[in-house]
Amino acid sequence: MQSTQKNIKNNDLLLEVNNLNVFFNTTDGLIKAVNNINLSINKGECLGVVGESGSGKTQTFFSITGLLSNNGYCKGSAIFKGFDLISSSKKERMKYLGKSIGFIFQDPMTSLTPHMKIGDQLSEISIFHDNLTKKESLKRALEVLDIVKLPKSRNLITSYPHELSGGMKQRIMIAISLMCSPELIIADEPTTALDVTTQSEILNIFNDLKNQLGISIILISHNIGVIAETSDNIIVMKDGSIVENGSTYNVLTNPQDKYTKLLLSCIPPWLDV
Amino acid sequence: MIKFITKRLLIAIPTLLIIIAFGFIMMRVAPGGPFTNERALPPEIERNIQEAYNLNKPLYEQFFIYIKNLSVGDFGPSFKYKDFTVNELIISGLPVSATLGLSSIIISLFLGSFLGIIAAVKRNTYFDYSVMSVSLVGICVPSFVMAPILSLFFGLYLGILPTSGWNGGSILNLILPITALSLPQIAVISRMMRASTIEVLNSNFIRTARSKGLKSSYIIRKHVIRASILPIIEYLAPASAGLMTGSIIVEQIFGLPGIGRYFVVGALQRDYTLVSGVMILYASLLIILILITDILRAYLDPRVKI
Repeated sequence: MQSTQKNIKNNDLLLEVNNLNVFFNTTDGLIKAVNNINLSINKGECLGVVGESGSGKTQTFFSITGLLSNNGYCKGSAIFKGFDLISSSKKERMKYLGKSIGFIFQDPMTSLTPHMKIGDQLSEISIFHDNLTKKESLKRALEVLDIVKLPKSRNLITSYPHELSGGMKQRIMIAISLMCSPELIIADEPTTALDVTTQSEILNIFNDLKNQLGISIILISHNIGVIAETSDNIIVMKDGSIVENGSTYNVLTNPQDKYTKLLLSCIPPWLDV
Repeated sequence: MIKFITKRLLIAIPTLLIIIAFGFIMMRVAPGGPFTNERALPPEIERNIQEAYNLNKPLYEQFFIYIKNLSVGDFGPSFKYKDFTVNELIISGLPVSATLGLSSIIISLFLGSFLGIIAAVKRNTYFDYSVMSVSLVGICVPSFVMAPILSLFFGLYLGILPTSGWNGGSILNLILPITALSLPQIAVISRMMRASTIEVLNSNFIRTARSKGLKSSYIIRKHVIRASILPIIEYLAPASAGLMTGSIIVEQIFGLPGIGRYFVVGALQRDYTLVSGVMILYASLLIILILITDILRAYLDPRVKI
């Protein structure tokens, strides 16, 4: 585990989130889901975000990408390559979404449009962002399917999501996020719905993306084991706030916060983390 | 596909037989007969008539004669419209009813879905509220109330549209009946479409589409509509049944020479063959519509295999 990311050069900074707060208007009044979060991620780095359910880890990144549900809003700033994603208009933000920032969701089973062919779901994104023709973008789709190690790529293009397994669908999701060669991929619990063998295969793909293509990855998970394998830095969240952050090695070997210690004690001792 | 369609059409035969038998029995059970008058006929004449129409034979024999004629496409003579066979009456009335019914179903399908989608996308805005409250009125007010009101307002007060008549199928004459017939269906379809579109908009795959940075209009067109229209397709068959019964009333009110009035007049005057004929026609239409619905659903949803 390498953990010498201390010497951050300013021009390597990819995303910087400052004082981010997320609120929800509910019938019980205003609820603060995320409380004053600051984080940053450099090019080619993997940031792991750990926390229990409802700790606000997903909503943090939904708010940055404008995917909050209708009753939610956020305050603060999220500077992506010098562009503030939060204060900008929807139209401008959409130029980055899908193009420079890829998103991978928790539940691959329901995250693909059931009535569209895989090929169309892959190609539409680069037709829209890169002005490719249908043919060119299908060619790009085959390249991308190769990166995520899907076999028989040509058949996949014409199949529907229900004809694929969960692991394959999650690879398709990763492939979709790779279509426009993004600089940042936000993966929201990408392995939660998958079995352990598939989990490790997916994590291997993430490692390849980071090491070979130099893509920054934000890996959100409640499973500290998943995060430990791939991330360089870790953020631990609880009740909408960051309780601990630092390099993976430091956080795992020498946790400062009581909650992090509790989280680590949840891992059975015979597992080598 | 062809196998599926043939199978379904073969299943339809026993269904139709049951409907025919049921209609046959119901009509015979009803008191009176086609030749019952306030003044009783002389017995000899009555016997002659009964013989001519096979009414003197036992019921089961009459039924078999009727089925035998049906199998070669002969619906038999009408009892009341003396110079016409049921086939002739249906052929003369069908174009009117078909024009009315088809235009109504197409208009309510498109307008209803369109309003529903917009209401769902702009939900909790004034547009949504007004569409939903107008459609509530559309559901509550039946077409036999709506038709005279429309007729009174546009035909008499404003004097811009004819109140009744077919006039060779001129569009002006069709506007009011089609409106009266479609309004309740537009109301139901728009509400259903709104609910299903909202459900689809909140689903995970729409979140994925939004995370791709695609345009909203594109997402609605490509990702939302095909999923949210499915319940409407399911509703198509009951909607057509509603339109058929609605058309009986609407044709009466607007004086249109469709087959709806034959159904009513035939039932009141115990015109056995005419009622059976119209009933078989309606039933077959519905069976075919349900078949079309199933094919459409399989086309729209790749998970459904036929």
